[in-house]
Amino acid sequence: MADRRIDLRLSQILPLIGFFAGLLTGCAGLKPAEVPLLPDNVPAYHELSAVPFYPQEAYQCGPATLAMALSWSGLPLKPEDLVDEVYTPSRKGSLQMAMIGATRRKGRIAYEVSGIEHLLPEIAAGHPVIILQNLGLSWYPVWHYALVIGYDLPQEYFMLHSGVTSRKLMSFGVFEKTWARSQYWGLIVLPPTRLPAQADEKSYIKAVLGLEKARQYQAAKTGYQTALERWPESFQAHMGLGNSYYALGDLKNAEHAFRKAADLYPAEGAAHNNLAQVLLEQGRKQEAMQSAQTAVSLGGPLSAAYQETLNEIRGSMAK
Amino acid sequence: MNRFRRSAKSVSIFMVIFLSFIYMPVQSVFAAMIETEAVMADQSLSHAREKVRAFLQRRDVQAVIISQGVEPLEAQARVESLSDAEIREIAARIDQLPAGGLLGTVLVIVLIFFLVLLILDVLGVTDIFTFIHPPKK
Repeated sequence: MADRRIDLRLSQILPLIGFFAGLLTGCAGLKPAEVPLLPDNVPAYHELSAVPFYPQEAYQCGPATLAMALSWSGLPLKPEDLVDEVYTPSRKGSLQMAMIGATRRKGRIAYEVSGIEHLLPEIAAGHPVIILQNLGLSWYPVWHYALVIGYDLPQEYFMLHSGVTSRKLMSFGVFEKTWARSQYWGLIVLPPTRLPAQADEKSYIKAVLGLEKARQYQAAKTGYQTALERWPESFQAHMGLGNSYYALGDLKNAEHAFRKAADLYPAEGAAHNNLAQVLLEQGRKQEAMQSAQTAVSLGGPLSAAYQETLNEIRGSMAK
Repeated sequence: MNRFRRSAKSVSIFMVIFLSFIYMPVQSVFAAMIETEAVMADQSLSHAREKVRAFLQRRDVQAVIISQGVEPLEAQARVESLSDAEIREIAARIDQLPAGGLLGTVLVIVLIFFLVLLILDVLGVTDIFTFIHPPKK
């Protein structure tokens, strides 16, 4: 009789045990952390000791980490200066796009960095990296921003400014797992004179374009110049430089940039079109007319805009 | 096929309106300057061709092509003969595909399906969307 009762209980408990065992494997809780592919061109140990630390208020890891990163980049800001721009009270947190947007509005390059193999070279180059972690579980997320300020490859840990802890140590395994849950979302905040350690042309120019969109034309101009030092033939960077000068009211330098773009890429109508506009505004109508006609003759998906420029020049000549 | 055409049409009309709402290029109001962003989207032609080629080589895309009774190699060959404007148009649409994660997988599959049908129409393999090859009057 006693045996039977135990049996009953066991049969009741077994599914439960099975369920929890399933949960554990389902959440990768039993899976050993994969050792990430480490790049071999970085020093074994590096720490950025000059990065300031600001402890966070409740839920406000976004403003705190961003303030640290911006201060490092040369803009002495406190977390409370950024709360309005970054923190969303209803979400009790900060969205990634808000972090990027605030960075741009401060005239800094927001460049996304994903994965440990890309993170280490940035730290080694002296760039602290903001990362988004899920400290909880995939189905019970506890989202958190922290600033990575160093690593130790032989000892296998990272150093972070995190929450209320300055220089918190985190093992590779925990770091990898908590970061993986955000799809390795990372961000570096750079002054526009600096390139990321592993700068990709398209991504960097996109990041500078973000400055232009945020109407930080001075910073955008510098960013495009930085891009052109590395990629002197980038069509987008020449165009962006011209547009930034134009927005700043510097027609002479804008003309120079568009001319360079048109010389390098004579088949790109946009360069001729913008050159025409800048020439027109300097009163050089004959030259403007020529450039606009070139643009229209090249056609392409933007040809309606080229035609508009040409019409505008014709109209001004008729006056 | 007819029934499929009808349902595809209503889906396509919805998608066209939906996508054009989201992705309408916004030109600045002042002057006729081309913004840097417009130049970013308007990638060089070889880049656009490469993008379309890579898209057609994706396994999920090939599955859709085959389900339409079209030989993937044939589709690939016809892409080579498209005009510059058509290639740019298709490349721009591929750019609009969500990278995943943001939207549900189902929606991504629907988008891929729609895009493949659109490309096949442009290629003249199928004739689902009447706005691709409107009958000459």
